[in-house]
Amino acid sequence: MKKECKKDFERMSEYLDGELNDDICREIKSHLRHCPECRECVDSLRKSIELCKKVAEEEITADMRKRLRAALRNCFASEQS
Amino acid sequence: MDAMEKIVGRYEDRIFTFGLKMCGHLQDAEDIAQETFLNAFRYLKDFRGETKLKNWLFMIATRACIRKRRKKKCEPDYEISLDSFIHEDGSDGKYEIPDWSDDPSDNVMRAELKKIIDVAIQKLPHKYRLVFNLREIEGFNTKETAEILEISTQSVKTRLHRARLFMRDEISKQYMEGRAQ
Repeated sequence: MKKECKKDFERMSEYLDGELNDDICREIKSHLRHCPECRECVDSLRKSIELCKKVAEEEITADMRKRLRAALRNCFASEQS
Repeated sequence: MDAMEKIVGRYEDRIFTFGLKMCGHLQDAEDIAQETFLNAFRYLKDFRGETKLKNWLFMIATRACIRKRRKKKCEPDYEISLDSFIHEDGSDGKYEIPDWSDDPSDNVMRAELKKIIDVAIQKLPHKYRLVFNLREIEGFNTKETAEILEISTQSVKTRLHRARLFMRDEISKQYMEGRAQ
């Protein structure tokens, strides 16, 4: 991996999160225009981040919700007494 | 008590999801949710509103997850090195990341992807998993995550980047293996 590629590889998440200043962003964008490997790297990383965010949702089951609330009611009551 | 019931109603799904993503077991997730709300009930009078209620609850939930891990005497955490993602040929490698289908009828594909991602999250070392779940799944920003975990923003950024690279590796590997079968 070239020195420039490694530098961008290290700060790719900050780049994707918009946490770098404008000058650095411009520098990375310019590098990405000329480097297909880094472009592929940033694209695959972006895609996997988006995928994780979409798939992540969980919902507590009705049974579990009932059990949790009953347990908490008991705990709250005994804490208060 | 009424206030606490409202808090439980509003945040139980989020705290439960966090517990499940951290521990990987329904029973553990339930224990974490219970411990989180019980501690919130105990200390609600001390909550001064300097931080958002949601952030405060996640701070409590994070501590519950850390305690749970200590009790279970899990394997010690290990560091994820950036160099481990650089291949012998000097490249970052080739990755195949599947597309997410917004079509609700594509349930099988969705279930498979969910399984791949859940397994990969469980493979993350604990301290990276905490940051990944808070930032990526729960949507806290870098500063909020640093406050919840009581670490520096730079540590959050470093851990998140490594966790993301790890996840990309795992997702691509599992997906390609699944397709080959």
